[in-house]
Amino acid sequence: MSALPARPLTIGQTAAAPERAPERGRWLRPVPDPGRRAKPTLVYAIIAIAGVAAIVVAQLLLSIAITQGAYDIDHAQMQQTKLDRQEQQLREDLDRVQSPQYLAANAEALGMVPNANPVFLRLSDGKLSGDPVPAGTGAAASAPLVPNALIDGVPLVTEEPAGETPKQEVKPADRDEHTGAGGAAAVEKPAEPSVTDGLPTPATH
Amino acid sequence: MKRTSRHSMRRIIVSAVLLVVLVGVFVVKLVDIQVVRASALNAEAQDARSTPVKVWGARGDIVDANGTVLADSVMRYDIVVSPKQAKLAVAERKAAKSGSSQADVELTTEELVAGLTPAATELAPIIGLTPDQVIGVITSKLAENPDSDFAYVAKQVDIEAYDAVKALEIAWVYPKEHPSRTYPNGAVAGNLLGFVQADDGAPLAGLELAQDQCLAGTDGELSYLHSASDWVPIPGTEIVHKQAHDGGTLKLTIDADLQYFVQRVAEEQRRATGAKWATVTVMEAKTGRLIAVADVPTVDPNDPGATDADDRGSRTFTAPFEPGSTFKAITAASVLDAGKATPLDQIIAPYRYEPPNGADINDSAYHDDERLTLTGVLIESSNTGMSKFGERLTDRQRYEDMQKFHFGEPTEVGFPEEAPGDLHGDPDEWDNQTKYTTMFGQGMTTTAVQIASAYQTIANGGVRMPVSLVESCTTPDGKSTAKPAEGERVISEKAADETSQMLERVYAEGWLADTWNIPGYRVAAKTGTAQVADGNGGYLHGYLVSVSGFAPADDPEYVVSVSIMDPVKMNSSAASAPVFQKVMSQVLKKYRTVPSGAPAPDLPATW
Repeated sequence: MSALPARPLTIGQTAAAPERAPERGRWLRPVPDPGRRAKPTLVYAIIAIAGVAAIVVAQLLLSIAITQGAYDIDHAQMQQTKLDRQEQQLREDLDRVQSPQYLAANAEALGMVPNANPVFLRLSDGKLSGDPVPAGTGAAASAPLVPNALIDGVPLVTEEPAGETPKQEVKPADRDEHTGAGGAAAVEKPAEPSVTDGLPTPATH
Repeated sequence: MKRTSRHSMRRIIVSAVLLVVLVGVFVVKLVDIQVVRASALNAEAQDARSTPVKVWGARGDIVDANGTVLADSVMRYDIVVSPKQAKLAVAERKAAKSGSSQADVELTTEELVAGLTPAATELAPIIGLTPDQVIGVITSKLAENPDSDFAYVAKQVDIEAYDAVKALEIAWVYPKEHPSRTYPNGAVAGNLLGFVQADDGAPLAGLELAQDQCLAGTDGELSYLHSASDWVPIPGTEIVHKQAHDGGTLKLTIDADLQYFVQRVAEEQRRATGAKWATVTVMEAKTGRLIAVADVPTVDPNDPGATDADDRGSRTFTAPFEPGSTFKAITAASVLDAGKATPLDQIIAPYRYEPPNGADINDSAYHDDERLTLTGVLIESSNTGMSKFGERLTDRQRYEDMQKFHFGEPTEVGFPEEAPGDLHGDPDEWDNQTKYTTMFGQGMTTTAVQIASAYQTIANGGVRMPVSLVESCTTPDGKSTAKPAEGERVISEKAADETSQMLERVYAEGWLADTWNIPGYRVAAKTGTAQVADGNGGYLHGYLVSVSGFAPADDPEYVVSVSIMDPVKMNSSAASAPVFQKVMSQVLKKYRTVPSGAPAPDLPATW
């Protein structure tokens, strides 16, 4: 391929070179033995390729980890949504039973009446102001006076079969359907604490 | 040699040129895609692969002075069916049974109904319909539009129903969620809160409407890329197009427990007396804060349709009426403030008084001429006596005093459709009768809250505090709009104190003294039995009975004002007195107000 004229190769001749006249006709010299090829070139190639492969593999592993993370996140988010909905449902239930109308309805179902007759006891001298009379029992149901559509259809405390009041009449047949431990505990009256040395009194000034 | 090289050169140059041209074409195309059309192509790609998702901005809560939640935002679900898909599902099943392809199958109406029945039977009880109704929705929608993809079968169902519907796994039924409003305490403060439209949450009345700017949240929008098969969002691809903002929390000055009590008492009395409506206003005397405002019958915002349209608002703010004798306290305070009288000034109060300008004033019941002091005029609630004192001021002076009390203009609350009241125009335009009737609260109109505010002024030593119902609006970042209130002096402290003492005598010696007795406290109160204008220049047969007062009178803390409209079974102030007694007792008891030490000073009523 090369059409360039060959140049004389001078190997190993340093100090004597400028003094020698170029020999005519001796332009052409055989190409010197380049020596053994260095084995390390293969190693470099292997290292380079291995490095590239390692980078690719690492990237693959990272993206797999990220994608797995995405699935975990998605799973956790779905759980959170479900739990959020549960929480909201429970909060709505709680609001419903916390409403004053439900409280009043339960109180009246248990036989209580509202009392609008305040009587004040002045602690310094024990003086009563006001006329202490028992509250009238003829009061009409007060819960419907201030309606609350949210409690429509919600059973009152006295209507539920698993009542919380220990004095509630409980049929053994009903009890067997609910968990036995809870039923037994509700039927027994709680043991009354024993009172020795009188009731504890606060130290007042 | 040279010829070969030239040929080679030409080949080289030709191939180089070809290469350059090819590369150039690619470069131009690349530049076009990457630089020139980059954003448009990006948007297209994003649209094709990503899902826009609406992020709801929750509406703010309304809470009372103690933090009890009065109005809450919840998620509700509308159950939607796709009639087209339902029909396809039935057709597919028929095709699978008969072995033919689904496209060839023709369905008759009976087959469609029969095919839908199992799914409809499962679905219907969850949403409160019958299976026939569910099928009816589908068939009627298909009759209108065979390609219909959307039909509501149930609106506003709660989470239990939603979970149950999802569990059924019917392919052509899907729920759509949207935020809704719930009012945990029902009708408590329903008149003040107002309500929202069930479909889209638009506020319709009350504070929901007036404070919508504070309460409303803004919806946001974001989009993200997701995996095709299981819709998992790819991390790092979420783009927020619009940030969602939750609404702020609105804090009222109302106490929910007291509000419930007052509403209950008012409704009980309204039913017992057969009245059309009643209002009770409880205000703190020192701050002008409204701690309970009851309007019965009250709307339950969870179910506004259950009450009449007239009863769904708050008459305390929107219904002006002629106040009647409770206004005499304000006239007396004006006369005292101008120095034209003292509580012990003496006049003779006849049954009928005909002043020189031609008016004709008479008292409610016939009596002989009475020798009354100003205190006695208030105790006896004598119109003629009040006229004799009121005429010591000019009309303009009385009118300006009324304006100082902020009558004739809406209060600072700014309730929707709040009425300003009517002072019957300019005092120069008052006819001769009106000049006198305005002294005892007829011929002019006020709202219940204005009367309460006037009594608050008298109770607070003559300093009027702005009426407040909304304490603050707190955004989710914590910025609050609470402002301290500043009072203004309307009458001198001496005039206010003297008026207060006279009203204490009215309370102690008036004919209702036994009915409204609250032992242990000094109370000041005034009754009123006002005639109601019929809108045609005359008066109706019924009365508007009211009581306004404050306690404890030695250092007033609370003002209570009760008005009952047309109590047919008890057509006098005796209808409102028990309400006043119960409400005032409860307020004093609830806030542990110290009972009064000494009894009220004794002012003579007669001479």
